[in-house]
Amino acid sequence: MSTVTTATATATATVLAASPQTSVSEAVVFWIVAPVAIAAALAMVFSRHAVHAALLLVVDFFCLAVLYAAQDAPFLAAVQVIVYTGAIMILFLFVLMLVGVDSSDSLVETLRGQRVAAAALALGFVVLLIGAIGSATLQMPSQGLAAANAEGNVIGIARLLFTRYVFAFEATSALLITAALGAMVLAHKEQVVPRVSQREMSRRRFAGAHPTPYPSPGVFARHDAVDTPALLPDGTAAEPRPPVLEGSSNQAGRAGDPAGPGATGSGS
Amino acid sequence: MTPTDIPAPSIAYGPLWPMIAVFLAAAIGVLVEAFVPARRRRPVHLVVALAGLTGGLVAVALVARNHHHPTLIAERAVAVDGPTLFIQGTLLLLGIAAVLLLGERSLDSTGGTFVAAAAVVPGSRGERQLTASSTMQTEVFPLAMFALGGMLLFPASNNLLLMFVALEILSLPLYLLAGLARRRRLLSQEAAVKYFLLGAFSSAFFLYGIAMLYGYAGSVDLGAIFTATGTVGSNDTLLYLGIALLSVGLLFKIGAAPFQNWTPDVYQGSPTPVTALMASGTKVAAFGALLRVFYVAFGPVRWDWRPLMWGVAILTMGVGAVLAITQTDVKRMLAYSSIAHAGFILTGVVALNRSGLSGSLFYLLAYGFSTLGAFAIVTLVRDADGEATHLSQWRGLGRRSPALAGIFALFLLAFAGIPLTSGFTSKFAVFSAAISSGATGLVVVGLIASAVAAFFYVRVIVLMFFEAPAPDGPTIAVPSVLTYGAIALAFAVTVVLGVIPGPLFTLADKAALFVR
Amino acid sequence: MLRPYIPILFLGILGAALAVVSVLGGGFIGPKRYNRAKLDAYECGIEPTEQAVSAARFPVKFYLTAMLFIVFDIEIIFLYPWAVAFGRLGLFGLVEMVAFLATVFVAYAYVWRRGGLDWN
Repeated sequence: MSTVTTATATATATVLAASPQTSVSEAVVFWIVAPVAIAAALAMVFSRHAVHAALLLVVDFFCLAVLYAAQDAPFLAAVQVIVYTGAIMILFLFVLMLVGVDSSDSLVETLRGQRVAAAALALGFVVLLIGAIGSATLQMPSQGLAAANAEGNVIGIARLLFTRYVFAFEATSALLITAALGAMVLAHKEQVVPRVSQREMSRRRFAGAHPTPYPSPGVFARHDAVDTPALLPDGTAAEPRPPVLEGSSNQAGRAGDPAGPGATGSGS
Repeated sequence: MTPTDIPAPSIAYGPLWPMIAVFLAAAIGVLVEAFVPARRRRPVHLVVALAGLTGGLVAVALVARNHHHPTLIAERAVAVDGPTLFIQGTLLLLGIAAVLLLGERSLDSTGGTFVAAAAVVPGSRGERQLTASSTMQTEVFPLAMFALGGMLLFPASNNLLLMFVALEILSLPLYLLAGLARRRRLLSQEAAVKYFLLGAFSSAFFLYGIAMLYGYAGSVDLGAIFTATGTVGSNDTLLYLGIALLSVGLLFKIGAAPFQNWTPDVYQGSPTPVTALMASGTKVAAFGALLRVFYVAFGPVRWDWRPLMWGVAILTMGVGAVLAITQTDVKRMLAYSSIAHAGFILTGVVALNRSGLSGSLFYLLAYGFSTLGAFAIVTLVRDADGEATHLSQWRGLGRRSPALAGIFALFLLAFAGIPLTSGFTSKFAVFSAAISSGATGLVVVGLIASAVAAFFYVRVIVLMFFEAPAPDGPTIAVPSVLTYGAIALAFAVTVVLGVIPGPLFTLADKAALFVR
Repeated sequence: MLRPYIPILFLGILGAALAVVSVLGGGFIGPKRYNRAKLDAYECGIEPTEQAVSAARFPVKFYLTAMLFIVFDIEIIFLYPWAVAFGRLGLFGLVEMVAFLATVFVAYAYVWRRGGLDWN
């Protein structure tokens, strides 16, 4: 107990001595990057196209990374680029693609007045937070930066990560395993029926009656899909017909196909 | 800038073994998923999970025997003290019962309560094929073990950062498990999405609170926050913001009143064994963390947060008890009952004295087992569509299956707090602690809420025993020894703690001292 | 303070300049002899549509890939300070990092064995 208090006390003392000032270069970077960040954020909110919004968010994230770097937090800047701009944005774009770029939300309110109430409450909460934080921190000088970065920002992080928070760090691996498990459970379909290998397919083909390729659709065909039979000059379909793929039964009379049911197992 | 070596921290691994055992079993479970053929996975999982939990229990017993003085280990990150060990022991026992329920598969003719393949779209042709097969998503075992590991870590963490990591470790697997029901899959998936979204919000609040408290105290260590609250002239606004935001995160997890909205939907939609795990384990772990945060760090500013907690407790008891009356679904009713009980346990938190802590610990153990047993019985009452959870279907169950209905009635009576059940002793413990700390008004509200709650518990008992059974009512499935084991454990704890609560009371009282 | 980032800034400017110059330069220098067929977008003889008609949705399989990418991306975040401070950490750091990596590779083994990495 007492060791901690003395440690924090000494840290505070050393830090207060070196009162940090905003340097010129930091100010220049801030006044260039901050307007870009805000403009990108606003454009993101008001953009109608989901993909544009996502790309504007990338710009915003990148501006934040530059601001972190300008404030002597290179580790945070790297994390911002690697995790947010890299990974999180990829996930955003994947989700957009998954849902379909053109799909839009249903704007019907199931709870009447919900939007107004939510907006009012959110506004109240934000005002409360801003007011409280403003009254709290504006009176104090910023402190602790020099001590934390004394031997380099990244080394400082490593020092904390491998001493005081080493157990939290190790526990994080449980989170990562859970994430991988969850992704697999939710998105991975097991192959219930074993997949037919190329070797097996060619063996089947030569065991069957028709090893050579089927006639191509030809000039009279109206489709060029593989399961459309070739037409003979008199307009009748050429025999034998090509194997039918599961799920594409738009034409009747193919049940007795010699190639067998190409069952694909757990749905398509 | 001379390079100084970073010294290796001293980590006493001994008291970490309860958690390490469970995490190890979870990781082995993942390897089982990877390397054991699908047919043999379920029994192997059961063995691994039960071995891990039993090992954890043995470790807790050894730590309790060898560490008479509470200590902070792993660079003050983990607290090894009475409450930690008591709650970890409780959680491991509850975990064993919950894993038994997860492993049950003789209830449903097609195999278990869990979906065959979660990735297959509900209602698709592939699903119909799979549902007829006897496959199941056996990942539930490692997921449940990870959740249990997080639950063990949550009340033991002495710094807020570790506590946040533990919160996520316990929450993420539960979000997933909530969506894996075999029947009524859309309801289950809706529950998972709701739980996930709201849970993510509450985690964000928790994290924001940590940031505020770090700004206030310059540390996320609970002891350092305690020290900072003792110094005059520090920046109190940050402290209040921090307490408020942190409380939102914790109160969400225990299902207390302004943040209770998710509880009924999630409890109803999740597979019932998972609901049992959530209702017992999550509540115990989250209350453990809540107690530690408020007793260890925020004690000196109690006059600032106690009125707020009063309000939350009253609201929670009221909302839980009143809304439970209107429910027609057994699982929803039990969910509202769990909200009401969160309010009752909060009176023990508000008491903020040693008897309040020991009473809360006792209550958590007793309530955890009763609620787990109640949900275990819900899994047995079935009709052709799976579990029959509508209350009207439970009419006359006592005539058809008196033993089972009798046990369920006992759990309900324990919830209601009738003497000679564990519920009475635990309620008596927290209420007397609250009175001794001057919170008489809160106790009066608590007694009224108990009376209201007793009404709907008794109503279910009347429905089961004194009304004629419906002609096309549900049947009682005959489970394997697994479910019987879980119900027997819950039943035994509920009865023993009601008749001879003394030994456990002594234990809880001995345990009721936080290390700072 | 920001001096280490100046090379990065220059590299960024250089990259952007290369892109701009090659696009604009192509427009200025290249011969412009267009006809109607040349202006048509060519897609196997079929009139192009703005988006794939039948495949408005991505297969969910890509989500799995993205999620796994994130898992290992976050692992990298922890490797970064460890690698920078490797000389000062000593044996303890190595042991802890190996323990962490081994745990995450449990997930990798699971995904690999269950076919999460197969592309079919």
